[in-house]
Amino acid sequence: MASEPQPSTVHEGADNEDAPVPTNAEDRKTAAAMSNLEGRGDEDDSRNGKHVDAEALGKAMQSLSVESGADKAAEKKVKVEAVDVSLLVEQLELSKIKATELLKAHEGDAVKAMTAFVMAAV
Amino acid sequence: MPQTLSSKDQANFRSLVRLYEAKQYKKAIKTADQILKKNANHGETEAMKALTINSQGNQEEAFALGKVALQHDMKSHITWHVYGILWRSVKNYDEAIRAYKMALRIEPESAQILRDLALLQVQMRDYQGHIQSRKLMLQAKPTLRQNWTGLAVAHHIAGELKAAESMLETYEGTLKQQPSRADSEHSEAALYRNMIIEEEGDNERALEHLNSIKKTNLDRTAVLEVEARLLLKLGRLEEAEKAYRGLVDRNNEYRAYFEGLEKSMGLDRAKESDIPKLVELYESYASKSERLDAARRIPLDFLEGERFEKAADAYLQRMLRKGVPSTFTNIKGLYADESKRKIIIKLVEGYLSIAPEKSESESNGDKPDRLRESTLFYLNQHYNYHITRDLDKALKYVEEVIKLAPKNIVYIQAKARVLKHLGNVTKAAEIMEFARASDEKDRYINTKAAKYQLRNNDNDRAVKTMSKFTRNEAVGGALGDLHDMQCMWFLTEDGEAYVRRGKLGLALKRFKSIYDIFETWYEDQFDFHFFSIRKGAVRAYMDLLRWEDHIRDHPFFSRAAINAINIYCQLYDDPSLAGPQVNGSIDFDKLDANEKKKALKKAKKEQEKQEKVEAERRESERKAMLKSQKAQKKDPDAEVKQADADPNGKKLLETKTPLDDATPYVNFLLEFAPKNIESQFAGFDVFVRKAKILLALKCIQAAHQINPDHPGLHERLTRFRKTLDASESSNPKVAQVIKSCISIIPASSGLSEANESYLTKHKSSPQHIYSALRTRAFLDPSSKAQNEKELLTSLDHASLEDAIDGLALLKRWGSKEDVKSKYVDAAMKKWSEATVLSGGANASAGAER
Repeated sequence: MASEPQPSTVHEGADNEDAPVPTNAEDRKTAAAMSNLEGRGDEDDSRNGKHVDAEALGKAMQSLSVESGADKAAEKKVKVEAVDVSLLVEQLELSKIKATELLKAHEGDAVKAMTAFVMAAV
Repeated sequence: MPQTLSSKDQANFRSLVRLYEAKQYKKAIKTADQILKKNANHGETEAMKALTINSQGNQEEAFALGKVALQHDMKSHITWHVYGILWRSVKNYDEAIRAYKMALRIEPESAQILRDLALLQVQMRDYQGHIQSRKLMLQAKPTLRQNWTGLAVAHHIAGELKAAESMLETYEGTLKQQPSRADSEHSEAALYRNMIIEEEGDNERALEHLNSIKKTNLDRTAVLEVEARLLLKLGRLEEAEKAYRGLVDRNNEYRAYFEGLEKSMGLDRAKESDIPKLVELYESYASKSERLDAARRIPLDFLEGERFEKAADAYLQRMLRKGVPSTFTNIKGLYADESKRKIIIKLVEGYLSIAPEKSESESNGDKPDRLRESTLFYLNQHYNYHITRDLDKALKYVEEVIKLAPKNIVYIQAKARVLKHLGNVTKAAEIMEFARASDEKDRYINTKAAKYQLRNNDNDRAVKTMSKFTRNEAVGGALGDLHDMQCMWFLTEDGEAYVRRGKLGLALKRFKSIYDIFETWYEDQFDFHFFSIRKGAVRAYMDLLRWEDHIRDHPFFSRAAINAINIYCQLYDDPSLAGPQVNGSIDFDKLDANEKKKALKKAKKEQEKQEKVEAERRESERKAMLKSQKAQKKDPDAEVKQADADPNGKKLLETKTPLDDATPYVNFLLEFAPKNIESQFAGFDVFVRKAKILLALKCIQAAHQINPDHPGLHERLTRFRKTLDASESSNPKVAQVIKSCISIIPASSGLSEANESYLTKHKSSPQHIYSALRTRAFLDPSSKAQNEKELLTSLDHASLEDAIDGLALLKRWGSKEDVKSKYVDAAMKKWSEATVLSGGANASAGAER
């Protein structure tokens, strides 16, 4: 149903979170706020929270940005061919995302990925 | 473009919002029209109007207007928010999330939009997105405890335990003083934190934390259980034993406490030397009260030989003398062990010779031969049970016990059960109906009677029976109420009865209802995302989320899904099944082509006539209902449930894409019940027809892992080979995958020979024979007569269940009536009671009025 006729700009924005640079100031502000959110989490030590002053909610709020650990930089870069992705999508009825994940887990080798998929233990 | 209203219209707009929230939809629409009169194309007003229309139940119109509103004002968070709500109401959560995000971009401060977004994200299990939204909510209002808890939950379900704990810890740290003892939200949060610590695997710290909250926590049972568990995990056995003894004192029938107690005492059931200690332990508890069951029953699990016999004797006599009807149910768990089974039956049969004790009976005013009565009933159940089945004996005992107590419904029902197992579904239903009629207030027996009517393929009477306890003014009458109440056993049995009657449309309809009910259960969690966090009932909420993630592993789902998939595969193989069915009493095969056409035409006409009558009936029902609603002066704004437009499942049946329709069932089945070999078969059956080679291969190799000797495997392996040989255009990479996985697939040449040798190898197992015969029919369609003959001879080794399957096979093959009746006659010689073979009520498919 997403293909219902809509103004092209609208559709694009709704489709994609990181839409092209917003045109008005308000939107830019929002976008900035959102991207700020994603920036946190480089320091990973949840215990920092312990030193928070018992009464200072404000401080607690600051520490909030420190809490969320789990940075995703560790993900390996594996080259995945688009042809292979569509092959997996077609053959295994997977979503594009899942197919890409599966390929990445097998060094982008479609045969290995599909074999592993088929032979998986129950 | 942002559009401004005059101050008067602004006031009107505010009252429009209020009216909508107060559910005064008619007035709201009036107000909206008033504003739009002066400000044509005012997007936000249009959006509010669309929302109102949606609430009135007109989704299409609402969507159309919602989109117009968006075109008129795409810079408004209201139009986007409404658009999101519209998507949400049709359960398209992805689109709804997109719309909400747009609305938020325009109005980042809106708490309401943010909240709606967060709820959708957790529903969709978008863990990271949910964390972000919860974080924003917390930043907006850090003083609210629920916002902290909400973020903790968001981290927790995303698997980030440390972050989750630190949220709770941080908030606790900001409290100026300890909350009052009656603060249940605080108490819950404390236990929730403890649960997270335990899940982190840090038992030491969990115990430490538990001790700090132990005194004040309101959920005493939970605290004590967690304490005992942690002590046990930490190996602090003495303290653990004390804790478990405390728990047993609180509830001395709860098996888990006894289990914990055994472990904390270091006792091992497998060790011979520990047995006396175990006996002593349970005796010490049993001696505390005459009424305790657990302490007496548990030892039967680990005792063996003579000691078992003595204990079982005491237990059985105690129960049977009291006349506990559930004695067999309590005991049958032991039947897995053959030696125990033998000891038990020897004991119970011995009780028949014990003379009734006069003195006892007089003092209690009880029946003098209660022991005899309950012994006979036990013996009936014993011989009715599938492991120890001997139906002649079961029948003999139940008739004896009915002589002692002719009015006891329990015994009459047991007799019906024996007859059902004998295959006499007709008489079983009659007897159950007799039992029902003798106590019309008893809902249990009413339900049983309906089930037996369904087993007898008597769908209409079953609904009538059920209707004695349903709300019959519901839309769709009794059947509608059974849907509303999500009465799954009924829908399943009803559907299976329709399958047996060849009414595939109605059958599909019922299985679809089961599918929908599970969908509803998944949807139902939506309200709790908000409610539970606000109420602070977090532990129960986490349980709910985890349960929702695997609800479809329930056997009811598998059963309905496999049935539905089977029908869809049949429809794909033979699309004419969706057309009008010729009256089964005519031998269709005997007619020539011209006559066939005529018969089909006649059948079609009849069907149309029937449909017309039914449509009229529904129409008049609907009118009557509207009338009664009017009479009750019902609120016109109230939700009106639409009557079903396709009550017979005709549309479901006439699908052009049966395999695609089966796909959702297959996907859930393979995801949630992969260890059930029938799931893998169902998946294979669909994929092989769709020519999805690799997916079919995956299913078949999974099935091979589960049970390489299953009869269903052979026919599918052969079919896979044939399909593989027929599809040439395969991608080279796919071919390579197949090559490396092919070890279990038979070679292309000599398939028939292999099948014949399979047949010889398994010549005494009917199910394997069926598989081979199906394979032969598949490889060589001209082999029908031979297959039918061999099917008949396979009856020698068959059980009644096998014979039922064999008959179904003849139906699938479209065998002639005389072949079928010959088979039935031969089978009836073996099982004289088995009316189930002649089809119960509504014997010939489609032959009822």
